[in-house]
Amino acid sequence: MVKRSEKATKMRKLIRAIWIFNWFNSCGFAELVPLVGSRWDMERFGMIIVGTPRHADVLFIAGYQTLKSIKRAKRVYEQMAEPKVVIALGSCTMSGGMYWDSYNTVKRLKDYLPITMYIPGCPPRPEAVFEACEKIFQHVKELE
Amino acid sequence: MIEEIKPESVESAYDLYFGPAHPGSGNFGVKLKVDGERILLARADPGYLHRGFEKLMEYRSPIQNAVLSDRLCVLESLNWNLIHAEAVDALMGIDIPERAKYIRVIMAELSRIQSHIIWYGVLSKGIGFDTGFKMAFGYRDYILDLFELITGGRVYPAGYICPGGVRRDFPKNSTDKILKVLNKMDKMIGLAKIENPTLKARTKDVGILKKKDALRLGATGPVLRASGMKTDVRRDDPYSIYDRFDFTIPVRQEGDSYARYLIGIMEMIESKKIIEQALKELPEGEIIDQSLKKLKISGKIPKGEVYVRNEISRGEAAIYMVSNGMGTPYRAKIRGPDFLHMIPVLEHLLKGTQIADVPAVYWSLNICPADMDR
Amino acid sequence: MVSKESGLVDEIKSNFNISGRAQREQRIFISIRTQDLIEISKWIKKHGYIHLSAISVTDWLEEGLYEIAYHAWSYKDKILITIKTQINRNNPKIKSVSTIWHENAQIHERENHELFGIEFEGNNDLEPLFLEDWSGPPPFKKDFDWRVYVRSEFYTKENERELAYYD
Repeated sequence: MVKRSEKATKMRKLIRAIWIFNWFNSCGFAELVPLVGSRWDMERFGMIIVGTPRHADVLFIAGYQTLKSIKRAKRVYEQMAEPKVVIALGSCTMSGGMYWDSYNTVKRLKDYLPITMYIPGCPPRPEAVFEACEKIFQHVKELE
Repeated sequence: MIEEIKPESVESAYDLYFGPAHPGSGNFGVKLKVDGERILLARADPGYLHRGFEKLMEYRSPIQNAVLSDRLCVLESLNWNLIHAEAVDALMGIDIPERAKYIRVIMAELSRIQSHIIWYGVLSKGIGFDTGFKMAFGYRDYILDLFELITGGRVYPAGYICPGGVRRDFPKNSTDKILKVLNKMDKMIGLAKIENPTLKARTKDVGILKKKDALRLGATGPVLRASGMKTDVRRDDPYSIYDRFDFTIPVRQEGDSYARYLIGIMEMIESKKIIEQALKELPEGEIIDQSLKKLKISGKIPKGEVYVRNEISRGEAAIYMVSNGMGTPYRAKIRGPDFLHMIPVLEHLLKGTQIADVPAVYWSLNICPADMDR
Repeated sequence: MVSKESGLVDEIKSNFNISGRAQREQRIFISIRTQDLIEISKWIKKHGYIHLSAISVTDWLEEGLYEIAYHAWSYKDKILITIKTQINRNNPKIKSVSTIWHENAQIHERENHELFGIEFEGNNDLEPLFLEDWSGPPPFKKDFDWRVYVRSEFYTKENERELAYYD
């Protein structure tokens, strides 16, 4: 019998299929909404989009954040219940990207929220998002 | 002018915030003052996507701006690419080769069809018709595959329409592939044209915009055409080679959400006609002007000013570019159609409607918050 | 053979004190004195220029001026006219045209008030539009250099991945 921490046991039982709360800023909208559509159907993997942060496991931050919208994203993150995971999508979200010299965008997202996974790209393809979700399952299996 | 309603006069009024974390609102917030089910006052709350785009363009040369300009609104990136390239071409006094002119029109019209498909999809999802949403995003992927074949990117074409022409030529057999995709679009338009009683009941007589209000509030594009005014920038103020093609301008008189939805469907048919005519007449030749063939970052823009207007899928877009002889534009003012549609027109339309009708009004205006905030 | 555009320029010149010309078909650029702004706007609106396309501001730092441009379109004549006027940069004040073009002009003036700091007299809705809790100078002025601001506020030289932003 392998001895695991309490958090690891909880996560193995609860995260079998990911329920997403979407925080799609501009570019995220064009590449993540097709994931719900009929070509890259994400419901066959058990992932659905929920309307309230209380039901969600994962917060998808897709697209560049400004100082006004990161405050709302932080409040949404605080309202989610444990265990929770944050995924950052796109290069403008992680490091400023193409808007590195703008006065109003957020340059280092990890100063505001604890991020588990980064998906680079401008914007990343839908296959990249699926690979990221698979890595999350792998990460949860190896938690101790 | 915005009227103030004193809260003491309506005792049961309360505030409701339809904000950015709501799944049905996009990246935009509206503050509502509500009495029971009826909205008394609406106040728009923009600014969640503001990056100061116009000043970012002042630090970059025209070739770098061509790559930046497709991120103005992600849902129709090739149309914004086109208007920026036209502004720089007009300032530099370049006349681009004939083949490049036809390729630009074909790509811009494909992007317009793709944007109208998104409009149909999110309008259906907002009022509860989920089949329309799944169908729309399924058919849109055929066009995105075409974009990937020709320009290299599904959503952002990396400055494909650049000052001087276009970046690279069509690959072999693209004409056949484009015609096959247009046949599939025929099927989708046929399915969308079926008179659906659900859609009709939820959007008929909702959000009526009269013609004199639309002209006073600054509406343009499909919103104005659904209220009875026959106008289109491609016909009245022709740019590129639109005066060589034969297409009609759909107009309706009622001004409600159902009329706006029908105009979207009819415009897709007209765009298809334009692409077919352009493909028949496509000549051979060069695709980029000789002086800009080797993409230089350090060229200088001659002194002058120019105001370019285009018809993008949401309405009238314009760029006012001023140059004082240096390598970067001195001022580039961008006028987007959504700046007027989302603040004055939306506040006017939401007054007096019920809360349950808000998605039908909101999504029928075909909004894109990125081009309002810039 | 006088074109429609140069005919219109001559008609305005005979009524007011302006300078300007037709740039090409369907485009006219004229420069006026600031005190004539309301009269000229009323005149062209009566002649069919009912659609105000944009109000734009250019910051000429060396001459010390703001140049405000009003772009109006007529659906009847199909001509776009651009009216330019200049005001002092250090204490920028100008009368509002929201009595002529109503809500369309009001929202454009609200945006320019926030980004350039111009006072539009007569516009009663000049609250901040895009920014929340911003305490710096008006962002689009030419003496506010964004690259200097961003390097001191957001990035740091100790992080070796961010060294590339410093040259």
